[in-house]
Amino acid sequence: MPEETKRVVPEALARAFGRELPHGEPRLLAGGAMHDSWAVEVERDGARAELVVRVSPRGRADPEKTAREFVVLAAAHAAGVRCPRPLAHGVAASGEDFLVMTRMPGDSNPRALVTADRYAEARRRLPEQLAEDLARIHRLDPKPLAAMPGARAPAPGEDPFFALRRQTEAEYRQLALDPHPVIEWAFRWLDRTVAALPVPETEPCVVHGDFRVGNILYDEGGLTAILDWEGTHIGAPEEDLAWFCTRVWRFARPDLEAGGITSRDAWIEAYERASGRRVDRGRLTAWEVLQNIRWAVITMMQARAHLDGHTVSHELAAIGRRTAETELEILRLTGVVERVRHAG
Amino acid sequence: MQDRPTAAELLDALASFMRDRAEHARDRWERFQFLVAANSLAILRREWELEEDACVAEWSRLDRLLGPEPLPRRQQELARRLRERNEELCRRIREGAFDERGVAELEAHLLATTLDKVRIASPEAARDIEPR
Repeated sequence: MPEETKRVVPEALARAFGRELPHGEPRLLAGGAMHDSWAVEVERDGARAELVVRVSPRGRADPEKTAREFVVLAAAHAAGVRCPRPLAHGVAASGEDFLVMTRMPGDSNPRALVTADRYAEARRRLPEQLAEDLARIHRLDPKPLAAMPGARAPAPGEDPFFALRRQTEAEYRQLALDPHPVIEWAFRWLDRTVAALPVPETEPCVVHGDFRVGNILYDEGGLTAILDWEGTHIGAPEEDLAWFCTRVWRFARPDLEAGGITSRDAWIEAYERASGRRVDRGRLTAWEVLQNIRWAVITMMQARAHLDGHTVSHELAAIGRRTAETELEILRLTGVVERVRHAG
Repeated sequence: MQDRPTAAELLDALASFMRDRAEHARDRWERFQFLVAANSLAILRREWELEEDACVAEWSRLDRLLGPEPLPRRQQELARRLRERNEELCRRIREGAFDERGVAELEAHLLATTLDKVRIASPEAARDIEPR
C-alpha cells in the first residue's frame, strides 16, 4: 500500500512548485495510521530543502479536511507556532489527497520523551513552550476556519462543551458494543456538574484538536514542532488542555498528569501565564471527564472496526479491552474512587 | 476433564512464544505486533482464572440495585443475562433513578465492576488503587 502513495510524491511536488523538481528518493516516516508521510529532499533554486509529502490513500482521502488543516497550519506558522510551514495541498490524479510541508527536525517517540535521561531538560522546558504555542493557536482568528466547508463548530451561542458532549454521546449510542453503566453515570455527572458552574465568558476559538505528547517533535532543548493538525476545529481552549492530560497519553508516567511530563497544576499555570486568561479548574475537570469518555468511545470504535470485518487486526481488537481502564479513570476524575474508599 | 497442559499452561506457552518473537523481531512494527499478541494472551489467562467469580459477584450486586433474580447456572447464560441487566441499569441511570437515592450503592458497584474488568484487561492501570 505505501508504494501507491509513494507514486503521488512527484506529482505533489510539481503542484507545490508549479514545475517538475529534482528530488531524492522518498523515505517513509514512522507513525500515522491514517496517512503515509514521505520525507523527500528537493533541489530548488540551487538550494536543498527537506520536505514532507503526506498522502492519504484513496479510501481515506478527505480533501475538505486537508484544506482546513492547510489554512490553520499556515495561520499558526505565521503566528510563530513551532509547526511545519504548509506549501501546497490537493488531490492527485489517482484520487489520493496530499499535503506538502517543510520537514521539521526532532524525535517523535513519546515514550522516550517521558522516560529517557537525555530528555530531562526537554521535559523541564516543554510545559512552557507547549503552553506558549497553544495560547498562540487559541488566539488565531477563528473566522477563516469557521467559513470553510465541513468545519466543525458549536452552533451560534452554544457552549463548545455541550457541542462536544452532544457529539460524543451520539457516537457512543451508535458505536457501543456493550452497555456501559459507568459512562451513563458519567454523562449524568457531567450535566449536573457543568450546570452548576459559571457560564464561560470566552468566545469559541481555533483548537488543535489532537494536542498530546505523541503529536509533537522534540530534541534535547524541548519543542521543535507541533504536528497532526487534521482534527482542528472551533472549540474551547479547555478541549486541548484536557486532552493533553488524559491518562492514555501519559505513556510510562501516569503520575504526571500533563502528558507524562509535568503535573496538571503546573501545566494549567503555564497556560494561564502564556495566555493571560484564567482557567476554571472545575470546568477543566468536566472537560477531562468528557475527553476520557471520548477516548473510551474511540476504543469501542477501534474494536468495532475489527469485529465488523472493516479492518481485520488483533491490535484493534485488543484496544477494545482498554475501555475498562478508561472507565476507571472516569471514576477517579468524577470522585467515585475517593467516595467509595471513604465510605468503605 | 482434559489432560495437561491446562488452558492456563497452554496460554502461558503461547505468550512466551510471542514475547520471544517480539525480542527477535525484524522491525519496530513486528515487535509491537508480537507484544500486543502476548498481552492479549495474558488477558485470556487472567480471564480464565477470574471472570467466573467476577460475574457472580456482579450479579449479586445487581440484585441489590435492581431487585433479586435467580443466578443462572451456566457461564454462557450468566454472561448473556448480565448484559441484559446492565442494559436495564443503564436505562435506570439515564432516567435519573439514582440521582437522589442509592448513589453510594451504585458508585460502589461501578467501582467494583470496573476494577474486576481492569484486573483482567490491564491490571497495571489500577496500581494506584490496588498497590501490589
